[in-house]
Amino acid sequence: MSDAQSAPTAVAVLTHIVKSIVDQPDDVTVDEVVGEGKHRLDVRVGDGDLGRVIGRRGRTAASIRLVTRAAASKDGVQLDIEFLD
Amino acid sequence: MEWVETTAKTLDEAKDLALDRLGVAADEAEFEVLEEPRSGLFGRMRGEARVRVRVMPAAVRHKQERRPRGRSEGKTRDAKAEGKGTRGTKSAGKKKPADRQPRQAGGEASGGSSPEQVSEHDTQHGGGSDKRAERPQRSKQHKESKRMDGQDEHNESPVSPQEVGDAAVAFMGGLATAFGAEATTELDVDDTNLEVRVVGSELGLLVGPAGRTLLAIQDLARVASQRRLGDHDTRLRIDVGGYREKRRQALDQFASAVAKSVIESGSAKALEPMSSADRKTVHDAIVGIDGVDSHSEGDDPTRRVVITPA
Repeated sequence: MSDAQSAPTAVAVLTHIVKSIVDQPDDVTVDEVVGEGKHRLDVRVGDGDLGRVIGRRGRTAASIRLVTRAAASKDGVQLDIEFLD
Repeated sequence: MEWVETTAKTLDEAKDLALDRLGVAADEAEFEVLEEPRSGLFGRMRGEARVRVRVMPAAVRHKQERRPRGRSEGKTRDAKAEGKGTRGTKSAGKKKPADRQPRQAGGEASGGSSPEQVSEHDTQHGGGSDKRAERPQRSKQHKESKRMDGQDEHNESPVSPQEVGDAAVAFMGGLATAFGAEATTELDVDDTNLEVRVVGSELGLLVGPAGRTLLAIQDLARVASQRRLGDHDTRLRIDVGGYREKRRQALDQFASAVAKSVIESGSAKALEPMSSADRKTVHDAIVGIDGVDSHSEGDDPTRRVVITPA
C-alpha cells in the first residue's frame, strides 16, 4: 500500500472484501495508484484465487467495484479498481 | 421488434407519433407507457413521455385475455409454457441444477437477488410473441451459469448452517468496521435459512441507491460464506438498518399508486428496472389489487415490471 493514502475507507473495504473471499488471504495486496484525476486501486491475489474474485460472468468483480466505490464516496474520491494476477 | 418506441413532450403526442409511424388507428394498436413526463417545478414538464406501440396482433390479444390473473393461478400458465417447450416452469426448483435444489427447500417468500428467484419471475412473462424470442437466450444463459456453478462449488464437504452464518457475520462485521460505521451484527438461523442483520447508525452507504449496494454486499457475503465453504444448502439474506422492510412498504405504496393510474387510464405501464427482490414485492402487491395484472419483461439488469389492466 502507498504511504499517502487518499482513500483509506475504500482501501480498507476493498482489502477486507477480497481477503474474505479468497482461499489465500495472506497473498492479497491492494495498491493505491494516484494518477491525474482518478485514483486506481490495484488488487493482486494468490494463484488460483482470481476466478473467485471475478466470479461467474464478472458478477463478483462488479459487486466489489460497486461496494468499494460506495466506500470511496466517504473518502471523497472516485476510483477505478483493477484485478490482477 | 414489431414494437415502435417513441418519445414526445406528452403521452398523447408520443402515441400519435407512434401511430403515424405504424400507420394504424388507435384501436388497432397496443400501447405501453414506458415513461411519463415528470412534472417539474412550477408545472413545467421535465423529461419526455415515452411509449411503445405495436399493431395489435389478433392472436396475441386473444392470449392476453386468457392469461390468468394473479400468481395464485400461475399453474395454468405453467402448463402452457411447458407445452410449448420454451422454458422452465413456475417452480424454480425444476429449472435449477440439481445440486442447488435444497436451497429452495425453505420456500422463502421475499428473498434476495439469487438467480433462482429471477427465474421465478420469468413465469410472469406474458404471451406476447416478441417475448418468445427472448426465451431461448435466457435459458442458454442459465445453462451457462449452471456449468460455472459446477466448477465453482464442486467440493461436497458438508458445512453446518451455523458455520456459514458465522462466516457471513464475520464478513459483515468486518465490512461495517471497514466502512467506519458503528454497528452490531445479528445472526438468525432457521434451519437452512440464514439472515444476517446489521444494525447501527449511518448505514446508508451500505444500502445505496435503491438498495443496490446492499444487493452487491449480499452477493459478496454469499461468496465469502457459502461459496468459500462449499455450502449448497443454505439461503443467506443480508439486511442493513431494517432496509428491507422499509423498502417493501414503500414499494407496496408505489405499486398501488401505479395500479390506480393503470385502472384509470386503461393502458399498461412499465416501471423502472428493478432487482428481482423488488419485482417480486411489486408482483405480490399487484396480486392483491383487483383490476390489474403484472408481469416482468426484458433481461436483467433492465428487467422491469409491467402493470396491465386485467
